Amino acid sequence: MTSWIDLSCILIVFFALAILATYRIGGMIKIFAAQSLTLGLVPFFLHADALSGRDVAIALGTMVLKGALVPYILFWAIRHVSMRSEVKPIIGVGLSIIGGAVLIAGAFWVSLSLRLPGKQASDLVLPCSLATVLLGFMIMVTRTRAVTQVLGYLVMENGIFLFALSLFNAMPTLIEMGILLDIFAAVFIMAIVVNHINEEFEKGPAAVSRSKMGETF
Amino acid sequence: MIEHILRIPWHVPFGGFSLRLDPLSVIFLAAVVILVVCAGIYGIGYMRQYKGKKPLGLHWFFYGLLFAALVLIVTANNVILFLGAWEVMAIAAYFLIVFQDGELSVRRAGFIYLVATHCGTFCLFLMFFLLAHAAGSMDFGVIAATNFSPLLAGTVFSLAIIGFGVKAGFMPMHLWLPHAHPAAPAHISALMSGVAIKTGIYGICRVLWMVGVLPDWCGYALLAIGIVSGVMGVLYALGQHELKRLLAYHSIENIGIIAVGLGIGLIGRAQHLPFLAVLGFGGALLHVLNHSLFKGLLFLGAGAVIKQTHTGEMDRMGGLAKPMPVTSALFLVGALAICGLPLFNGFISEFIIYYGLFQGLFTLPLPGVFSCAVGILALALMGALALACFTKVYGTVFCGRPRDPEIMVKREELAPAMAGPMIVLAGLCVWIGLSPRFAAGMVFSGGEYLARTGQAAVNPDRILIPLSAVIGGAFIFCALAAVLAAIRRMLVKPSPVQETWSCAFPQVTPRFQYTSSSFARPIVEFVKGLLLFRRQGGKVEGAFPGKSQMSSSVHDAVEENLFRLLFVRFTDISRKFDAKRIRYTQIYLLYIFLFLIFLLVWKLR
Amino acid sequence: MKNVMLTIFFHWVIVLALAPLFVGVIAKVKAMFAGKKGAPVVQPYFELARLFRKQCVYSRTTTWIFRASPIVGFGAVLLFALLLPLGVCKAPMRFSGDILLAAYILALARFFMITAALDTGNSFEGMGSSREAFFSCLSELALFMNFITLAIMTRSISFSRMIGADVPLSWPHSNPVLLLVVASLFIVLLAENCRIPVDDPDTHLELTMIHEVMILDHSGVDLAYLLYAGAVKLFLFAGIIVPLLIPFRTGDPVKDMAVFLAGMLGMAVFIGAVESSMARLRLNRVRNLLLIAAALAFFGFVVALWRGGA
Repeated sequence: MTSWIDLSCILIVFFALAILATYRIGGMIKIFAAQSLTLGLVPFFLHADALSGRDVAIALGTMVLKGALVPYILFWAIRHVSMRSEVKPIIGVGLSIIGGAVLIAGAFWVSLSLRLPGKQASDLVLPCSLATVLLGFMIMVTRTRAVTQVLGYLVMENGIFLFALSLFNAMPTLIEMGILLDIFAAVFIMAIVVNHINEEFEKGPAAVSRSKMGETF
Repeated sequence: MIEHILRIPWHVPFGGFSLRLDPLSVIFLAAVVILVVCAGIYGIGYMRQYKGKKPLGLHWFFYGLLFAALVLIVTANNVILFLGAWEVMAIAAYFLIVFQDGELSVRRAGFIYLVATHCGTFCLFLMFFLLAHAAGSMDFGVIAATNFSPLLAGTVFSLAIIGFGVKAGFMPMHLWLPHAHPAAPAHISALMSGVAIKTGIYGICRVLWMVGVLPDWCGYALLAIGIVSGVMGVLYALGQHELKRLLAYHSIENIGIIAVGLGIGLIGRAQHLPFLAVLGFGGALLHVLNHSLFKGLLFLGAGAVIKQTHTGEMDRMGGLAKPMPVTSALFLVGALAICGLPLFNGFISEFIIYYGLFQGLFTLPLPGVFSCAVGILALALMGALALACFTKVYGTVFCGRPRDPEIMVKREELAPAMAGPMIVLAGLCVWIGLSPRFAAGMVFSGGEYLARTGQAAVNPDRILIPLSAVIGGAFIFCALAAVLAAIRRMLVKPSPVQETWSCAFPQVTPRFQYTSSSFARPIVEFVKGLLLFRRQGGKVEGAFPGKSQMSSSVHDAVEENLFRLLFVRFTDISRKFDAKRIRYTQIYLLYIFLFLIFLLVWKLR
Repeated sequence: MKNVMLTIFFHWVIVLALAPLFVGVIAKVKAMFAGKKGAPVVQPYFELARLFRKQCVYSRTTTWIFRASPIVGFGAVLLFALLLPLGVCKAPMRFSGDILLAAYILALARFFMITAALDTGNSFEGMGSSREAFFSCLSELALFMNFITLAIMTRSISFSRMIGADVPLSWPHSNPVLLLVVASLFIVLLAENCRIPVDDPDTHLELTMIHEVMILDHSGVDLAYLLYAGAVKLFLFAGIIVPLLIPFRTGDPVKDMAVFLAGMLGMAVFIGAVESSMARLRLNRVRNLLLIAAALAFFGFVVALWRGGA
């Protein structure tokens, strides 16, 4: 099953890189959904020989929550604004891709010196989760709109979750459920805030240009 | 490894007239002799247009002086002799560059060249002083036999990079090149680009040979400098629209490739991997020879073009292949060779350097693997960008239709004096490209010499067998081309020639053609920030815009951001001195006074 | 010696026979996606035969380079064919470093094609050449990055070793790297062979052309050479990717060859599907696509180093 875990890790990093390279918010949210679905499959691969109800619950929970519910909330938040249009990152897409590649290399390099106790299912998990976290950070830093920054935060969460899933086999269910609930609440609140910002702009003076809507300061 | 040393008694303090001929100097000597002779013969034909108007005798005097200086530099075995010849070369080159001293730009270029070369020489004096002091002698052979501490070795290396790097044209120190090379007459530009900057490389090679054990970081530093120079050089070349300036920037790229080869050779030597070292050094040395050949050819061709069109602006030329068939064919050979395409010599040297980088990928520890990967990517990028650059040059100058109707080029009468050397150089490019055994053998021994390995430490067949296969492939390609051409000849009857179809678009004027700047635009815009691409004018306003003008230019980032600021600062400081009304006499007295104190302190310690 | 000549000849026969079929399959798949019946799969053969019978018309502005470009292009691609193993047929020429010869002989063909396009003195061709020159920089970068990754994994720089027997056998161990390399090489294939989303091979609008516009003025036998060269190049690029994807070797040469050919067919169908489901990208998005290809290959390189070292 190692190869499937490897594949999922690589795909997760690839999706993070794809979010960095996308212009449109709609596309970014869809790629995030795909990433969360892949993440949801990982518990299946990890415990393929001894599937317990808990693993199935976590997997399904991740897939439903982050793969379907959160994207739906985000789409709801941006529905008023024509923000499915282009979102240019601060440093340009070309430079973002190059920067993302450098960050991936950096994550692997750092992982060289990190030695983890115990036997892991796959040796790619640590560097890939670190890379996803770094790429999530980069998404947050290089974008100007609130929704994209939420997305960056969520990608970071995905990375941390991947790490946690694979390394702590004996993590209590309660903590995992708590993490998922945290994420859900955070996204819900963020979506409401974004929606309010948008509505304020809608009601506000006409001088506010549409392109500036939803930008954070 | 045969070393021949000649000593003649010479009554200069610390100096000795001793010459050395070893595998390293043989390669550079070959490049010097070939190019000086070819450029000289070309110059006879080229300079005919100035007969009676300018002092040609003086020009040829300095030419001979330059030749003598170059020969002495690559064969000198003594520090004082080397430095003396170095200075003579600088001065002679200056006088040759400012041949057309009626123009302000030429005089400025000469001045920049003089200042730059003396800055470099200053570092060289320091470096040689350190070396000779540590070894106790001015003789290269004795210096080579001494062991140096890592700190001293590192310092010497850094000084060599700066001092010789100014001459060679490494990236941050290259700024005199794009001014000086276009200002000189064509055959002098060929000489400068082909040989004079190679003396900088020769100097670095000599230092690498003399200081046998260098700290590890030196190889990586050289590799990094090579990568930066190469990529930035060709990017700047892409942004130029003046022919000789473009060729000058392109020389920087090839110097970068040579530095990459030297870097990987040095890394191999430091890690005790003889095959890697020999490949790196050998590839770099072969590229030295190759570059002098094809760059010389390109500059001579450019000179022929400029002589006919009286302008260097590529955007005003076009369709010159029809009136100048011989020049265009020879220029094409040079362009194909410089892009490193198979059948020509550029591919052979780049192949050897690539091979070395791939070997490094397999045999080096992790930081070396990463550096080699970056090196391979940089070489690939440089190759593709060079292809873009030279298709731009050849396409804009020789293909299509003339863009400026004022440039009337009559049927070429290329003087045999000008055609002969170009044919010889092109022939050498093709010869080395199709039968590299002789050249490869020569550089292999040079590489082993630099790598300080034993005579038979590396089996030359390991690289000669792939090279023979490459040549076999090239011959198969030629055979294929011949067969395909024969098939076409059989099938096709000659038909009348029409206008260009291009989707039946009527009323096409020559001004519709892509110019050199528009051809390079996608690439230049991609790296706008690095290349300081500036655009003036050309804003289209209103529903019925009137006549307007647009110009765009690429500025050298190093020159604008770094050196201009430094010079402004210096001018400010010197103005302050002026304001304080200190006379020059007092400043010189001050210098002598300080030197006296320094001597006293040093000797009394 | 005679043996070598025979293998070279046999190799060329396979490539020349199958390449137009490959293009025909792609066209058929695209037609099926569009709901049309489409031309028969062997249509490209008829196209080429028709072109070989026609005369070449040359323009007044062009020089000998224009006439030489199709020959150089076709010759270069045929030399490239000799360096690649096709399924069970070993490459007639294999030596350490043949990847460099392959990359640079294709660059020679590209040089002549770009210069021939500029030779016509028309802005359409200039447009195509300018874009082609730029995109080739990025695709060479991605291609070499892939070469580096494969070289690290197989410790060799010859096509026959890199995509030959050994690599797919270690599929379970190195499959993430291979996946990334295959994805990256696929994007390079689309870019180098003028497929959607990089370039549209069917249209002749200047806004969307890169390769197509450069061959606008060629006709007759010249055009036949160029089209044939394009088909062979596409076939060979697919031939680089397919052996990486086949995860097993049965040991029986007939079965292996059949598997390879089936893989090539599948690749043709897949290319057709990709072309039908995407639109051509804006030109600055093409640049980003190629950068993503390079980044994927770089990621593969990092993982290969990680796996190799750790």
